[in-house]
Amino acid sequence: MDSQQKDPRQGGHDPFRFPKWANTIRLPVTLAAALAPLYILGLLYLLFSPGATSVGYQPEQPVPYSHQLHAGQLGIDCRYCHTGVETGAAATLPPTSVCMNCHATVRTQSEKLQLVRESFATGMPIPWVRVHDLPDFVYFDHSAHVRRGVGCESCHGRVDKMEVVRQAEGLNMAWCLECHRDPVPHLRPEDAVTVMGYVPDEPQFELGRRLRDARHITPKTDCSTCHR
Amino acid sequence: MPRIMKSAAVVLTLLALIPVLMLVKARVTDSGRPRLSLVYDMDDQAKVKTQRAGALFADGRAMRPPPTGTVARDELVGQDRRRDGRVDTLWVETFPAPVTAATLERGRERYGVYCAPCHGLAGNGDGIVAKRAEALMEGTWVPPSNLVDAAIRARPVGHLYNTIRFGIRKMPAYGSQIGVDDRWAIVAYVRALQAAQAGSPSDLPPADLAALGPPPAPAAATTTATTTGTTGTTQQ
Ligand code: HEC
Ligand code: HEC
Ligand code: HEC
Ligand code: HEC
Ligand code: HEC
Ligand code: HEC
Repeated sequence: MDSQQKDPRQGGHDPFRFPKWANTIRLPVTLAAALAPLYILGLLYLLFSPGATSVGYQPEQPVPYSHQLHAGQLGIDCRYCHTGVETGAAATLPPTSVCMNCHATVRTQSEKLQLVRESFATGMPIPWVRVHDLPDFVYFDHSAHVRRGVGCESCHGRVDKMEVVRQAEGLNMAWCLECHRDPVPHLRPEDAVTVMGYVPDEPQFELGRRLRDARHITPKTDCSTCHR
Repeated sequence: MPRIMKSAAVVLTLLALIPVLMLVKARVTDSGRPRLSLVYDMDDQAKVKTQRAGALFADGRAMRPPPTGTVARDELVGQDRRRDGRVDTLWVETFPAPVTAATLERGRERYGVYCAPCHGLAGNGDGIVAKRAEALMEGTWVPPSNLVDAAIRARPVGHLYNTIRFGIRKMPAYGSQIGVDDRWAIVAYVRALQAAQAGSPSDLPPADLAALGPPPAPAAATTTATTTGTTGTTQQ
């Protein structure tokens, strides 16, 4: 505006003045300048949100063990292998002897099971790569959830469809709290906790409320619940 | 406006899209790399947790195997009816604790988890794993026994208990996966499966027999009983 009023020549080649066409890009440039910080902040926020950093972590395992085969097709219950899940904080991975329950007589020559047989012979554990890993300052307990009717599926996704285990949820604090504030969408009868793809007979909303009220399920949200 | 400005604007917009696309890719694809933390805080503390590796011992195992020769308290083999299922060499013939509906329910659930993969939900030796392993025709697989066979019906409960704890012939031991009380609950449930499939109508209390109606009573008895047996946890 200033330049327009002071320079009647309009569009001269004075290098110290904005050329006339600069007016036409004023709006876009202002918009871009205003949006740039938003863009950068938004990008950083999303980049470091659990959806991008944690969900989908799928490390390669030393033995090509497949949940899709064992838990899905063969229908073996999660607790057959993860025996600690109802009684302790850790779900626990099965010791090699549990694999040998079957693999002493099934697929005894398989290349893929070489490491399992070696581990069984030497007594050294199979070096499974940890998938779900909370920071060490967080206290988590499987039995507190499983015994109260929160299914594996709510936190681990459809494991029975995973060839290789993949982290399905962010496991960040907001995620824990979201459910602790309102567990109703995730509650199911205790005998259905390991069922994958569970469909309740009644609407989940009603079932969840009924279970919550009947069993007084009140997850806590004070800091000392998870940071102790 | 000079052309170069227009092109610059277009190029800039396109460049600005690249991080967005990378972000979308990061969100939709799986990755073998662990999450990156900006600040590690106390994420990894110098302590060992269940089943993790630790630098304290040369072999890297944080959880230590028991020294050779040690016996866990509930794994002592001695004279305890409940724990051993036998006294000296005599198998226990009765349950060490009263069998209630809750025991059977617990047994049904545990049976579904630990036994059904091989022995099948009804105990006939036709579990999914057994069928699949037989179909492989490798020659190493031993078919699981039919648990309602006369031979196994004749076994004392202590013998069944011992089978779960230590395994038998080609059947693996389940003592490390199943606790003492759960083993007895499973034995009770196996007895229920046997009664359901090999019993006769005269085993039923008169009231239940009357409820079944006139013959073919044996067939009817079998079906009702088996359906209770097959409502076990199915994992589909
Ligand atoms: C035959 C044994 C077996 C059965 C049955 C089984 N798992 Fe696993 N599971 C394993 C083994 C071995 C690993 C470690 C290797 C891996 O991560 O794939 C594992 C790993 C996992 C992990 C990832 C652990 C980590 O490192 O964070 C989850 C979650 C899991 N299982 C859930 C389940 C659920 C849910 C079921 C039931 C639907 C199930 N598993 C059934 C053997 C089993
Ligand atoms: C209850 C029985 C059972 C248990 C327990 C079990 N598996 Fe299996 N597994 C099978 C059967 C049956 C097959 C073959 C399925 C087929 O190929 O049709 C199989 C196949 C496999 C294969 C593929 C082998 C090949 O050559 O294709 C791998 C790898 C494997 N299992 C790993 C494991 C590991 C590791 C464990 C212990 C965590 C384990 N399994 C526990 C029954 C079992
Ligand atoms: C409330 C959410 C939640 C539920 C429900 C849940 N898990 Fe987990 N699970 C977790 C978290 C969080 C971790 C990571 C724990 C850690 O790093 O200390 C984990 C870890 C695991 C692991 C890794 C090894 C270990 O010992 O912790 C296995 C295996 C596992 N879960 C299996 C299961 C199975 C099987 C079920 C269902 C019976 C189940 N989980 C139910 C949240 C859950
Ligand atoms: C899907 C729902 C759900 C999610 C997700 C969830 N929780 Fe829970 N949590 C529950 C329920 C339900 C209870 C049981 C409350 C009760 O017994 O009244 C519980 C109880 C607990 C307890 C036991 C509290 C006590 O009284 O000792 C701890 C600890 C806990 N949760 C930690 C966590 C952590 C850490 C996370 C995130 C990694 C998490 N939870 C995620 C539903 C959930
Ligand atoms: C339901 C469980 C739960 C409760 C309740 C809870 N937290 Fe957390 N908190 C977590 C988990 C899980 C993490 C790890 C988050 C991650 O790894 O991204 C965490 C992380 C944190 C961190 C570290 C953040 C970082 O990235 O370094 C702080 C600080 C924290 N919590 C403070 C609190 C405070 C203050 C409260 C009480 C108002 C609280 N928490 C209540 C589960 C919980
Ligand atoms: C990995 C597959 C497998 C699983 C799981 C399994 N069994 Fe077996 N079971 C067998 C096989 C195989 C035999 C036959 C052994 C032989 O004849 O060498 C057998 C035999 C038996 C027998 C007959 C023993 C006798 O006196 O002749 C009983 C009883 C039995 N199993 C009970 C159980 C119970 C109870 C469970 C659950 C805790 C169970 N089994 C789980 C494979 C299995």
